[in-house]
Amino acid sequence: MVFVLVTIETRLYRHECYACFWFTANVPEFGTMGIFQKLVQFLGVRKREVNVLVVGLNNSGKSTVVNRFKNQDERVTEIVPTVGFAVERFQNQNLAFTAFDMSGHGRYRDLWEHYYKDCNGIIFVIDSSDRLRLVVVKEELDLLLQHPDICNRRLPILFFANKMDCKEALSSVKIAAALGLDKIMDKPWHISASNALTGEGLQEGVEWMTQQIRDIILAKGS
Amino acid sequence: MNSFKRDKKEEEDGGSQFLNLEKTTVLQEARIFNETSVNPRKCTPVLTKLLYAINQGETLSPKEATDVFFAMTKLFQSKDAVLRRMVYLGIKELSSIAEDVIIVTSSLTKDMTGKEDTYRAAAIRALCSITDATMLQAIERYMKQAIVDRNPAVSSAALVSSLHMSKLAPDVVKRWVNEAQEAVNSDNIMVQYHALGLLYHIRKSDRLAVTKLVARLTRMSLKSPYAVCMLIRITAKLLEEDDEAGGNDSPYFSFIESCLRHKSEMVVYEAAHAIVNLKRTTSRELVPALSVLQLFCGSAKATLRFAAVRTLNQVAISHPAAVTACNLDLENLITDSNRSIATLAITTLLKTGAESSVDRLMKQIATFVSEISDEFKVIVVQAIRALALKFPRKHNVLMNFLSAMLRDEGGLEYKASIADTIITIIEDNPEAKESGLAHLCEFIEDCEHVSLAVRILHLLGKEGPKTKQPSRYIRFIYNRVILECPSIRAAAVSAMAQFGASCPDLLENIQVLLARCQMDSDDEVRDRATYYSNILARQDKALCNSYILDPLQLSIMALERSLKEYLQNPEDRPFDIKSVPLASVPTPEEKEMKHKTEGMLVTQGGPVKPPPVSREENFAEKLSIIPGIQQLGPLFKSSDVVELTESETEYFVRCIKHSFNNHLVLQFDCLNTLSDQLLEQVRVQLEPSEGYRLLAEVPCPRLPYNESGSCYAVLQFPEDDLPNSVGTFGAVLKFVVKDCDPATGLPDTDEGYDDEYMLEDLEITLGDQIRRVTRANWAAAWEEAATAEYAEMEDTYSLSSMHTLEEAVQSIASFLGLQPAERTDRVPEGKTVHTLLLSGMFRGGADILVRAKLALTDGVTMQLTVRSPDPAIAELITSAVG
Ligand SMILES: Nc1nc2c(ncn2[C@@H]2O[C@H](COP(=O)(O)OP(=O)(O)O)[C@@H](O)[C@H]2O)c(=O)[nH]1
Ligand SMILES: [Mg+2]
Repeated sequence: MVFVLVTIETRLYRHECYACFWFTANVPEFGTMGIFQKLVQFLGVRKREVNVLVVGLNNSGKSTVVNRFKNQDERVTEIVPTVGFAVERFQNQNLAFTAFDMSGHGRYRDLWEHYYKDCNGIIFVIDSSDRLRLVVVKEELDLLLQHPDICNRRLPILFFANKMDCKEALSSVKIAAALGLDKIMDKPWHISASNALTGEGLQEGVEWMTQQIRDIILAKGS
Repeated sequence: MNSFKRDKKEEEDGGSQFLNLEKTTVLQEARIFNETSVNPRKCTPVLTKLLYAINQGETLSPKEATDVFFAMTKLFQSKDAVLRRMVYLGIKELSSIAEDVIIVTSSLTKDMTGKEDTYRAAAIRALCSITDATMLQAIERYMKQAIVDRNPAVSSAALVSSLHMSKLAPDVVKRWVNEAQEAVNSDNIMVQYHALGLLYHIRKSDRLAVTKLVARLTRMSLKSPYAVCMLIRITAKLLEEDDEAGGNDSPYFSFIESCLRHKSEMVVYEAAHAIVNLKRTTSRELVPALSVLQLFCGSAKATLRFAAVRTLNQVAISHPAAVTACNLDLENLITDSNRSIATLAITTLLKTGAESSVDRLMKQIATFVSEISDEFKVIVVQAIRALALKFPRKHNVLMNFLSAMLRDEGGLEYKASIADTIITIIEDNPEAKESGLAHLCEFIEDCEHVSLAVRILHLLGKEGPKTKQPSRYIRFIYNRVILECPSIRAAAVSAMAQFGASCPDLLENIQVLLARCQMDSDDEVRDRATYYSNILARQDKALCNSYILDPLQLSIMALERSLKEYLQNPEDRPFDIKSVPLASVPTPEEKEMKHKTEGMLVTQGGPVKPPPVSREENFAEKLSIIPGIQQLGPLFKSSDVVELTESETEYFVRCIKHSFNNHLVLQFDCLNTLSDQLLEQVRVQLEPSEGYRLLAEVPCPRLPYNESGSCYAVLQFPEDDLPNSVGTFGAVLKFVVKDCDPATGLPDTDEGYDDEYMLEDLEITLGDQIRRVTRANWAAAWEEAATAEYAEMEDTYSLSSMHTLEEAVQSIASFLGLQPAERTDRVPEGKTVHTLLLSGMFRGGADILVRAKLALTDGVTMQLTVRSPDPAIAELITSAVG
């Protein structure tokens, strides 16, 4: 009997905590939040965990983008080409993100699909200075959108028109047009021009993604 | 209450959740790996179950493996250390079955270079299991760093993984030699050992580099005893390969000897073991090594006693006298509570001891033989075999012991070794024959090993008819027909037929029995019975000889190949069984080899061995690259290797002579030992002796430094001129030289120049044209030859350079390339006259039977009689001897 009682209590707490998180979303991660976190951990409640898949052609800047999302002290100084994939973690507001940073090499693109099923969002990185391969980008995007594990889901997709600092870079509007993003009807999407080296444009994008995922979770009532 | 009951029940049936795992259930459960937030407490046991199932022999299809592999990759998002290490294991386990396993490369390199020390070593090992030659370059940098990492576990893992990877990409791993070099200086004993292992592996084909390595390391006194052991092995190998390094004052030998005084027992043992096993070790050099082993015999540690006595057991074969010094210590061990040690001690004593101690030692063994494992029982059996050959008078004690062992429980290998020993004793000692056969008869009455029963029946068929009372064996043999499985019944039928063919008094009874066997339910048994019964009914001696007593001994593999070829290229003429090469007779050296390994604790690869492939069959395959070789017919005989140069010269050339019915193919194996030369168009220009015609040459197109290649010459034997088939050829190596950079091996220019190199003369001998043939019944064949009007030549020679009959027997048999029959290659001790019986076949298929009557006078006098269907062959043989 005693056990049952405790469970109920925990549930109660969890609701309360969530409420608090919503409320304090804009408070920096230290300070008062720290005490809460400890209390929350003590009661066995963790941050909401979500998975996002980071895809795009090789050399578009995926790993650099993901690296930027991490805390200052966890970042690596040197980005090497990814072989296969790498798992990285970062937080935004009250969500704990697990990013599957996929390799964009031709040899590995077929393997992205193994990770489609259980992701909560997709970050698609495009090298906006690589005009030549924009058609390849479109091809890969279309394949992704048609994939059975993706096509019928309301999955937020965030596009980064990366390397905006390059001279030849196309604007995000032109890229959206070239990829035919306006035809995506059943999924929320968003495009940000970005510079992964400085971090410009990244925050805007990830805030959008956080909001979207949160909405979907709330809608599901979980 | 309820759950308590369930726990209890689980405990009762082993309590293991791993019992009766279903593959499909486990794969189903593995779906939880895909959940967005990974729960390590649930995932770890599932992964454990999966690995357990695979290790129990469950096989996954590539699709199943790939699916579960990719699901498993998602577990990388968990930070749980236990789960992560399970994932590494999973990767290693699935890497060979699943597809696209390189997907985890970046995740693993991240772990191997990361901050979490508990991940790093394991990540390296997993990484190496998924990396193929093309991906190795991508991780090269990390591997080099890891080899010299300060964390010993990381460094060791990297070194050992490099060693594994050198199998798929030796050239890449070679580039890590500097890192390996640095790791050899490590303070950590394992790192130093693994580094030396890798370093030696990289260098081992470069003799000079190995010499330098050994010179440097023997001076620097390695900290790790494991590394010192390894160094001892490397040094011993150098010593073994290089005769010049021999002699007491060799720095190599003194290094090994100095290790006898090392503070680590392991090193001391390794050094003693090395010295004892070096071929060149003299009895004097053996002394310090033996004293060390002697000391170990008295150690309190069972492992040391075991190691010492096992090594002494081996030395007892090569240096029995030296081991006698340890007899007292060995005597102390025969009652050792560790039965393995006791067995080895006793069998060692049996090898070195006197005839008088045999009874005592055998009694001692008998007290515990039932307690030791088969492997050690085999050692006992081998010791008994050696004893029986050494002390023939003891055959009764030994035979009784063996037959008692036969009656005990035991595996096939053990039983086979007993039967083998009894057979050897029977063959060696006529006095032991009857009792030996009787023991075997009794054994097959209750023998669970089919292959063994078949062999014994075969032996009974061969030996039984020659005993005083052949009829007594028939009952044992016929009992098998009534009681056993088809293959044994078939063997029994064949054995009975032998009696029918050799013992006229028994023929009538045998025919009755064979008639019964023709009603058998098994095809093979019926066929054999019908076949033998019909042949026996003809009462034709020659027919019996060639189809029952002494049938053609074809090489089964060659027969299969010939039949296949015949079926693929249909011809009008019937299949000619004479075109099938004969089974090869083991050469004296091969028998010797077998003998040498006896009595040592060698682990054998299990009882099923592939059928032996003859030299000829191996070569036939190699020669098939010569255009037109098929027209020459089957390969008849391949000679031993003849060296046409001294070994340490610029070019090293060896020749193998392949005889066909009418043709001779010479295979020249050439090695280029000059690092600044690339040879092209390498061939051997011959000056054939009279009557030979050179038909074709196949040059070797390229011969880079340190590689060997072969060129060939095809000749026709002198037609209708046998005497000239024995001759001497002049030979010169001809080639085009391109000078090249020794570092890269690439030629400096495209232009080469012609050059040549004198070779030693090549002798074509009589033996090159003759194959050994085993005759079970030489006397019958000899008689039959007389009736079949074979040509006979006879001559008397005085062999003045021979001083013993044994010597004469050996050299005649090897000179003529013939097979001694009826064990006449053994000269009974103290005899001054002896008859050697030989048989063989000349190229083209003509039989050769030779009888050499030898008498020891001043030298040896020999009367040689040759019978062969072809008079020219008989004459060639008598003239070649004189
Ligand atoms: N100029 C510029 N270079 C970038 C930017 N983002 C990434 N890079 C560079 O692009 C290269 C490829 O980046 P990487 O993250 O490895 O790409 P990935 O293959 O998509 O993971 C690296 O040399 C980065 O330094 C950007 O916004 N601007
Ligand atoms: Mg990348």
